[in-house]
Amino acid sequence: MKTAHSRFKEFFENFYLVLVLIFLYAPIAVMMVLSFNSSKSRSQWGGFTFQWYSQMFESSAIMDALYNTLLIAFLSALIATILGTAAAIGVNSMKKLPKTVFMGLNNIPMLNSDIVTGISLMLMFIAFGVSLGFKTILLAHITFNVPYVMLSVLPKLKQTSKYTYEAAMDLGAGPVEAFFRVVFPDILPGVLSGFLMAFTMSLDDFIITHFTRGAGINTLSTLIYSEVRRGIKPSMYALSTVIFVTVLLLLLITNFSPDKAGTKSSPSKGVQTASAGSKNSGIRQKILLTAASFFIIAAVSYTSWRHVASSHSDELYVYNWGEYIDESVIEQFTEETGIHVTYDLFETNEEMYPVVEAGAVQYDVICPSDYMIQKMAENLLLAEINLDNIPNLKYIDPEYMEQSKSFDPQNKYSVPYTWGTVGIIYNTKRIEELGVPAPTKWEDLWDERYRGEILMQDSVRDAFMVALKVLGCSMNSVDPKELSKARDLLLTQKPLVQAYVVDQVRDKMLSGEAAVGVIYSGELLYLQEEAESLNLDYELEYVIPEEGTNIWIDSWVIPYNARNKENAEKWINFLCRPDIAKKNFEYITYATPNQGAFELLDKEYQENTSVFPDTSTLTNSEVYQYLGTEADDLYSALWKEIKSH
Amino acid sequence: MTQPLIDLVNISKSFDGDIVLDDLNLSVKENSFVTLLGPSGCGKTTTLRIIGGFISPDQGKVIFGGEDITKMPPNKRQLNTVFQKYALFTHMSIADNIAFGLKIKGKSKGYIQDKIKYALKLVNLDGFENRSVDSLSGGQQQRIAIARAIVNEPKLLLLDEPLGALDLKLRQDMQYELIRLKNELGITFVYVTHDQEEALTMSDTIVVMNQGYIQQMGTPEQIYNEPENAFVADFIGESNIVDGIMVRDELVEIFGEKFVCVDKGFGNLTPVDVVIRPEDIDLVEPEAGTLKGIVTHLIFKGVHYEMEVTTPGGYEWLVHSTDMFPVGKEVGIHVDPFDIQIMNKPASEDEEAVGVNE
Repeated sequence: MKTAHSRFKEFFENFYLVLVLIFLYAPIAVMMVLSFNSSKSRSQWGGFTFQWYSQMFESSAIMDALYNTLLIAFLSALIATILGTAAAIGVNSMKKLPKTVFMGLNNIPMLNSDIVTGISLMLMFIAFGVSLGFKTILLAHITFNVPYVMLSVLPKLKQTSKYTYEAAMDLGAGPVEAFFRVVFPDILPGVLSGFLMAFTMSLDDFIITHFTRGAGINTLSTLIYSEVRRGIKPSMYALSTVIFVTVLLLLLITNFSPDKAGTKSSPSKGVQTASAGSKNSGIRQKILLTAASFFIIAAVSYTSWRHVASSHSDELYVYNWGEYIDESVIEQFTEETGIHVTYDLFETNEEMYPVVEAGAVQYDVICPSDYMIQKMAENLLLAEINLDNIPNLKYIDPEYMEQSKSFDPQNKYSVPYTWGTVGIIYNTKRIEELGVPAPTKWEDLWDERYRGEILMQDSVRDAFMVALKVLGCSMNSVDPKELSKARDLLLTQKPLVQAYVVDQVRDKMLSGEAAVGVIYSGELLYLQEEAESLNLDYELEYVIPEEGTNIWIDSWVIPYNARNKENAEKWINFLCRPDIAKKNFEYITYATPNQGAFELLDKEYQENTSVFPDTSTLTNSEVYQYLGTEADDLYSALWKEIKSH
Repeated sequence: MTQPLIDLVNISKSFDGDIVLDDLNLSVKENSFVTLLGPSGCGKTTTLRIIGGFISPDQGKVIFGGEDITKMPPNKRQLNTVFQKYALFTHMSIADNIAFGLKIKGKSKGYIQDKIKYALKLVNLDGFENRSVDSLSGGQQQRIAIARAIVNEPKLLLLDEPLGALDLKLRQDMQYELIRLKNELGITFVYVTHDQEEALTMSDTIVVMNQGYIQQMGTPEQIYNEPENAFVADFIGESNIVDGIMVRDELVEIFGEKFVCVDKGFGNLTPVDVVIRPEDIDLVEPEAGTLKGIVTHLIFKGVHYEMEVTTPGGYEWLVHSTDMFPVGKEVGIHVDPFDIQIMNKPASEDEEAVGVNE
């Protein structure tokens, strides 16, 4: 009886332990597995591959970001450690009241939310005319790291007898010598842990970096974030795996290093061990110091080299969506024109806008979407493009220049880059099983038989676009009556909807989790190729609904404060060249408005009506317009009602 | 006589407006063992730290071997300090601790090795070179702290309550050890303590301090037997301090009764403080004593009995005697003339101190 009980207890304990471990490590394990998955899908296994690892090492963007991340983490931690330790020594010798006040002041920035710190730092840099870049990130990181170092050094200082410093002086050491020979070794554990804490805080930080970085500089966190729009590349999983394994190895090495045992046992064990231990730790310290100084020298020379390399007379600052260009195109542009390109990424129009508006970073050429171009033009943030400098404009299909007029009435601010539609994707097999005919119009998404099989876009304008089109209204409607009708319509649809999602539409469709979904046409080519390579027993088809849909256009514009306007025009002209446009299309797979490029494409692409739909199917379609803040608020309020219902 | 090694001239020091030392003058002769004795806050540690160079005085000069070292930093002074809590360098071995000062002075390896050996032998800790600080007991750590200081061959060794953290038995052992060391090394010791017994046992000269003033300076016997004021009398050993009136030379009136004493020069009918040590009071038959009282308290202390005798007027005399008188017994109090110590009454604490200084 008792053994059964204890056996049960033992089983339960082990079970619980396993559960905890799974909880902690399952996400990492999933990521590591996916880093070897040859399919980009997050839910399908496409076979084992190392391609993401090789891609990672080949991508200059990733390697640059990794380098920046490590360099900033190291330098900020180092400088913060020096400043923080000095400050801690000062605070430690203060009287009680000033000490309390000072420590309070020290703790507030740590409790402060990152976003406040980030924004206030950005504002300060702009106010004092410091251009955002590597040094502003570094300064910001030092700023938020110092309090952590102080917090970890202070307790050690308190433990240290204040007399040891005096004793060293008494024995003939000068103040500096006394500090480094006597006090510093005593507080070294605190200093080191402060350094490590600062290093990790800096590695981890996204928000503050995001606000204080400038053109062309990314850390891993900002790079990954900028890629969210098109889904995180599997090479990021590879990178994360490499980082995780590195950290794990470091941990193992430090935990199993033999001399640690030696120093630990010194008080109790004999004379020999103790002396051996202290000798070893001395050598280890020397190695650490040499390594550190070597790293600093390497880092400083590399950054200064980069600085020299980047100070070209001919420069161009590009601000584009993540993964929105074939990287070789940038190299080719530099080769042909001699213009050095600093390439920067944003994730949403809304994120890009304030950066340009504040003038924190002066970009020369930007690629926003339709409605945002209208908003920027209305707020006088755009410069007119000299079309004489863009002879290749002749390759752009006039159809799209016409469509562009809805947001750029005189075609003077923007040159179309990519375009696409929003439509319905469906799983042919699943539809058959449900016994429903293939969808042809938005209204079909209200069909009871699709209950639990519909994926809607989790975005205000896209969701209302669908409902407004069903009602026969303009998708740019600002009429409160029409909008509340649209809301009611969406509410009646809600019970049928499986989920409101953004990115996962493609994963869920690929894995056959849903029958129909609202999707951007740009995703299709990738999805169809993926479905083919996975040998799925169903096909994914795309239809542009009869009621009409959203045609979106992303175009190149030049901001009012561009410093290299002519280079920006050269850039736009270059991207309009058919061979270049073709290259980009094949990389991005979003439809190109470039007629010249279209003619160069494989037949297979040309005939793909989901990517390049027959223009006759687009008669009722519109381009999003900027509706003003009042309408924006109304949309958001109604959307909130739907989501929270 | 030997030359003064260190002279403190008109030293004043205050912290945040609190005067800690006020116009202090002190002269320490070469090869002497001087103890600064007083309650906490009396300024003794401040005085030591001014000599060590860790605090600079607001006013006054520190003269060391004829040279003004007032502004000299501690690392340049030819003296060493043994700190209250030892202040050993815990991340170093014992040998490295002892070698610290020598290494800074750039002595040769062989010299340092010899010195370490010599110093460890001197403090009876041979073979402790490679031990870690944490593995030593408090007494051993204190000896290492002393060894670390003396290998530098200072002319003057400052000791700041070095035995304060040790237990009684160890403290007594260390006291003898320190005396032996001083005699072997022939260097001058300035020693700070609040323990009057320690001061009496070890010193050539005791400097009793209170509230930033020197109250009395003298040999242990002088300090004990002839305290110059009530503070010294009270602080050194136990004593009965009572109000008296000097009737004339060699006659003092206490509680209305006249006692013969040996002090003169206080004038006639002058109010004075009278100090009588508890062991100097003889308890006799009521009729044979100068004062009559009743035993109100009795404790056996081993060597002697401690009794309290209350006399009319309510004063409780503290009496140490090898003879036992039970509680409630009426006794007479007799004091021999040379056991009565007469002191001027201070008008204020300031005057008390100034009077002594002059």
